[in-house]
Amino acid sequence: MSDVPSWPVPVEERAVTYRWDLDKTYLRTEFESLRKMVRIPFEAGADKVHLPGVPELVRALRRHAEDDKERPYVFFLSASPPQIGDAIREKLAIDEVAYEGITFKDQLGHLVRGRWGSLREQVGYKLGELLAARAAGPAAAVEYLFGDDWESDPLIYSLYADVLAGHVDLETLDRVLARVEVGKTASRRILGLADVLCGSAPDAVAQVYINLERRTPPSRFRAYGRRLVPTFNTLQAAASLYELGRLGLEDVMEVARSLLGASGEAGYRLRNSIDDLTRRGHLGLTTRDRIVRRLAREGLAPLAPNETALRARLRAALAQLKRTAPRPRHASADYESVVAALGAAE
Amino acid sequence: MPRIVVDAMGGDFAPDEMVRAVARASLDSEIQMILVGNAEQIQSLLETGEYNPEQISVRHSGSAIGMSEDPRSALRAKKDASIRVAARMVAAGEADAMVSAGNTGACVLAAAKHWRLLPGIRRAALASVFPRQTEYEGQDQLGLLLDVGATTRCEPLELAQFGVMGSAYAQCVSKVASPRVALLNMGAEENKGGDVLVSAHQLLREIPSIEFIGNVEGHDVATGRADVIVTEGLLGNVVLKLLEGVAEVASGLATHAALDNWRWRFGMAMLSSGIERVRTLADFETYGGAPVLGFEHLCIKAHGRSRAGAVGNAIKVSAKAVRDGLISDVAGKIAGIT
Repeated sequence: MSDVPSWPVPVEERAVTYRWDLDKTYLRTEFESLRKMVRIPFEAGADKVHLPGVPELVRALRRHAEDDKERPYVFFLSASPPQIGDAIREKLAIDEVAYEGITFKDQLGHLVRGRWGSLREQVGYKLGELLAARAAGPAAAVEYLFGDDWESDPLIYSLYADVLAGHVDLETLDRVLARVEVGKTASRRILGLADVLCGSAPDAVAQVYINLERRTPPSRFRAYGRRLVPTFNTLQAAASLYELGRLGLEDVMEVARSLLGASGEAGYRLRNSIDDLTRRGHLGLTTRDRIVRRLAREGLAPLAPNETALRARLRAALAQLKRTAPRPRHASADYESVVAALGAAE
Repeated sequence: MPRIVVDAMGGDFAPDEMVRAVARASLDSEIQMILVGNAEQIQSLLETGEYNPEQISVRHSGSAIGMSEDPRSALRAKKDASIRVAARMVAAGEADAMVSAGNTGACVLAAAKHWRLLPGIRRAALASVFPRQTEYEGQDQLGLLLDVGATTRCEPLELAQFGVMGSAYAQCVSKVASPRVALLNMGAEENKGGDVLVSAHQLLREIPSIEFIGNVEGHDVATGRADVIVTEGLLGNVVLKLLEGVAEVASGLATHAALDNWRWRFGMAMLSSGIERVRTLADFETYGGAPVLGFEHLCIKAHGRSRAGAVGNAIKVSAKAVRDGLISDVAGKIAGIT
C-alpha cells in the first residue's frame, strides 16, 4: 500500500532518490519483545523516537540536492502495516522531514487472504516494491538506499542494485528468490519487473547504507562489495555522503551536533567513528582530515593528540588495505553464496 | 571517562584475545580504549566481531616484544614495540592507564622508562593477586602480594612503601575499608628475619594510614589473615610460583587418582561443583590482572595466558582504579610517611 505520487518526472531533470527503511533505520522501533511490539500500533507520532541524527541527515540531503539544482525524492519503504501510517506521518511532520511517498506492507490483506507466509516475508515484498517504484520513477535518477541489519535489507538492496545494473540475470534471480522462500506470486511480480528493468541503469544505485543496529560484525557484509557501507551511526553515513558530494561539510557538522545533543556523547566518540570508517576503507583520508579538522574547529571533537602521526599511520593502513583486499566498487555479489551463508547462519 | 590503552600485541593469545576483550568492553562499558599494535591486524579482527567503534581507537606500532624475549634488550632494540608505544601514550597524557598481558619484564621496564616514580617512592612494585580463605565478612577472596618480581632485594623503607601502595590498591579495588597489611617473614615475632625485615616491621607499624597486623609466615599466605602481604621481589616471586605449582600438582594428583580408582572418580564427581568453585576462584580469568604500583600512572599486568574475559576484567579494574583516583590516593599516603 503506497502513497507514492504519480510520475513521471520530466526526463531532462536531474534527480536523486533516497529510499529509507523506517524501523531501525529511521525510527528506534523496539520489537524485541512481545510487550514492546504490542505497544507500537497505539503509539502516536510524538511517542515515536528517531535514531540520532537521521532527521537532520534526511533534511540535509534534500537541501543539498536542491542547492545543487537536482530534484530530490525521499521515499520510505516499511514492512509495517498501513494502520500505523498516521503516526508515522505525524512523526515525520514533527521532524520536519519532507518526503515524496511512504509504502507500507498490507499485512491485514495478507491476513484476510490467509497468506501467512507473506506476513513475515521481507525479500519478496521489498524487492517488488523497489522495482515497481523504479519502473514508475525517472529513469535517470541516481539512488541511495538506507536500511539496517535486522532483516534482509543488505540482500534486498544489493539485489535491487544489481538487477538495475544488469549484473544479475533472471535465472539467478529466480534461484535466489526460491532459496529465500519468496512466494510464487511475489516472485512472478519481481521477475516481471526485473525483465523490464534488468540492465536499464548500470549506476543507478550509488551507495547502500546499512545501519548496524544489532552490531552485526561489518565483515559479514564484505560479500556485497564496496557499494554497501555498514555504518554504526548516522555520522558515518553522513561522512560517506559528504565524500560522494551529496552533503556539505556543514551538513555533516549538523549531524554530528545532533549526535552530541541526543546522547550527551563525548566528542572523542565522533572522531573514533570517523576513523573507524576510514580504517574500514569506506572513507578517503583527505575527506577524513577535512571532517576531523572541522569537528575540532567547531569544538565538537578534539583532534587526536598526535594527529599528524595518526594521519601517516592511517595512510599506511589504507594503502595496505588496498593491496590486500581490493574490492571493486560495482562488482556483483555472488548471491547464491550469500544466500547459502545466510541459511547456514540461521 | 577513563582512557585505557591496551597492548594488543602482548600475551600468548595476542592480538586476537586482546582485540576481542576491547570489543566486548566497548559494548558493555563506557570506557574509552586505545588498542596499540599492528593496525591492519587489529582492524580486521575488530570487523569479525561485534564492537562499538565510538569507544575504540587504534594506534599503530611497528613491532611487539615476544613472551620469551629478553625484556631489556628487546626494549632497547624495538623502539616502536607496542608496549613502549602504550607506555609513551600514557606518559604523554593520551591515556590514563595501561593494560598488558605481554612480557612482564618488558611491561615493568617500559613503565620505568617512560613514567616517573611518584614523589617519595623509591622503587616500583609488581603485585599479584592470589586466592585464599576469608576470615571476616566482606573480605575479598583474593589477597594481594607485592612485590613479586619488579625488585630482587629491598630496603626497609621500600618494603614499607609497598605496604602503603598495596593497602591503597586493595582499598580501591576490593573496597575493603581497612585492608590488613602484613610482612612476610620466617616468624611472627617482630625481631625475626634479619635487620631489613626488623626495620621494615618497625616502619610499617608506625604508618597510621594502614592497618599493619605484623609478620605472617608462609602458611598464613593462603589464609585470610592478611589482605596485603608485603615482601621483596625475590621471595614474592618464589611464593607466587610455589602457590601456582602446588595448585597444579594438587589438580594433577586428583585427576590421576580419579583415573586409577573408581572410588576416587566417584568422590571427585561428588565434589565437582565445589571443585569448580575453587577453580573459578583460583582462575586468573576472573580477576584479570594485577597492578604495577609506584609510578605516576597505573599499569595493570594481565596473566600471559589471558583470554578475552581476563583482559576485559583487567581493563575494567584499571578503569575503576582511574575513576577512584588510586594514584593520587597512593601519592597522598606516601607523602604522609616520607
